[in-house]
Amino acid sequence: MSRGYLSRLRGLALPVAALLAAELAMLATGAQSDAFARPSEILRAMWAAALDGSLAAASAQTLGNALLGLAMGGGIGLACGLWFGAVPRVGRLSALTVNLLRPLPSVALVPIAMLAFGFGYRMESAVVAFTCIWPMLMFAQDGVARIEPRLLEVAQVLGLRGLRRAWKIVLPAALPRIFVGLRLSLGIALTIAVTTEIVANPMGLGYGLSMAQQSLNPALMLALVIWIGVLGWAVNAGLLRLQERLFGRRGARP
Amino acid sequence: MTAALREASLDPSVAVRPAAQPLIRLDGVALDLGGRRIINGLDLALGRGEFVCVVGPSGCGKTTLLRLLSGLVRPTSGRILRDDRNVDGPAQDVAIVFQDYGRALLPWRTVAGNVSLALEAARVPRAERSARIAPLLAQVGLAAHAAKYPAELSGGMQQRLQIARCLAQRPAVLLMDEPFGALDAMTRQSLQDDLLALVRQHGTTVLFITHDLEEAIYLGDRVIALRANPGSQRSSLAQDIVIELPHPRDQLATREHPEFLRLRRFLFDFIQEPRP
Repeated sequence: MSRGYLSRLRGLALPVAALLAAELAMLATGAQSDAFARPSEILRAMWAAALDGSLAAASAQTLGNALLGLAMGGGIGLACGLWFGAVPRVGRLSALTVNLLRPLPSVALVPIAMLAFGFGYRMESAVVAFTCIWPMLMFAQDGVARIEPRLLEVAQVLGLRGLRRAWKIVLPAALPRIFVGLRLSLGIALTIAVTTEIVANPMGLGYGLSMAQQSLNPALMLALVIWIGVLGWAVNAGLLRLQERLFGRRGARP
Repeated sequence: MTAALREASLDPSVAVRPAAQPLIRLDGVALDLGGRRIINGLDLALGRGEFVCVVGPSGCGKTTLLRLLSGLVRPTSGRILRDDRNVDGPAQDVAIVFQDYGRALLPWRTVAGNVSLALEAARVPRAERSARIAPLLAQVGLAAHAAKYPAELSGGMQQRLQIARCLAQRPAVLLMDEPFGALDAMTRQSLQDDLLALVRQHGTTVLFITHDLEEAIYLGDRVIALRANPGSQRSSLAQDIVIELPHPRDQLATREHPEFLRLRRFLFDFIQEPRP
């Protein structure tokens, strides 16, 4: 246990050293910049934003929009993916449509979403939803399509058909792939939410970031950049742990 | 397996002979796959409680025969009857033990959960399931591993688990497709003896496919040999030999029995694939 923590702390050595070096170098040269700030200034800005509650409020907005979009888009993607995977004919018919829509950069939808929904959480979560459809769809479809044929034969011999087969055999077999799709989608959802806020939507961390930039406050701007990175890392790490708990013993060998 | 079970198998009065009224009958069964005749003109009767082993060169349709009997595939011509009724699909009391146990088990369910699948499929009420799972696991020697996952078991234990799941179906017919082929020799021998005791206790009719002639003679009341590429003139059935070895079988005594050696010689000469 303690060894695990130690080795994890060791991973912090490089970034901490880099920050220290930057701090010292900038102090020594007395550099002044609109784009950069000393690590200590960034830390102070982050601390101030944390104290006055603005950081928490903006985080809640961004995360809320990301999760709302993920729930909608991920839900649609999951349903379609399960359907396409379970019925290969439908999967083949839909392939062209999916492949045409998927590479569309979701930020290109921001102007349309703005016209349809105006500013606010609806517009942002709609853009996030569109983005999240595709990874969920592809991983769910792949998970169902790649199910071990022998398991389907076992189901057939046992007389499991229809919904009972889907619930007891197909869905649990596809679940690990679906979970990978969920993990990817969440990362993408966070990215797209912040992007939409920077480009157009006046709320959340992305808006705060672009405000800090326009008011020539590099310390706060960089503090927000770092905070967004930490947030993304934490969300992914949480899901990885959940994944390990849910599926860890499946492939484990003593 | 429990000691009580082993003793039961030692009782000579339970020795099973082919019954007069066959449980399964194949009448002139033929099957084409991809334009090729795999099985042709097969007439066969399996008695109630009979242990029939199937041998033959690779590609002779051993596995296909098993799939025919399970109802997973239908014959191109001819009839397959069980209790005088046409076999037209998988039945609850016909179980298949696959060779690739690793793929036939649900990796996301525990040992007990895998056995439970067969009970759930048979719509056994939840309250009764655990009372049926425990004795089944005890029968195959997995009572202490109920909470483990398949990936945490050895190959032999995984195959025991698959057999337990099949027994949960309370099968009248047990179809086994080279079930011990991937196991090491020691594990295979202990599974052979445990299987014989189990099916004798339950009176199960077994069709056992193997490429191991000694295994076929050791286990079987009868050994049938299939012919590869029968064409449309010859029957797939090349040999049908009743094994007159005494029960219970014993890994040393049976394998040293003169009759065992004679049969082995006979089948070996017959089955040997032509050298290039």
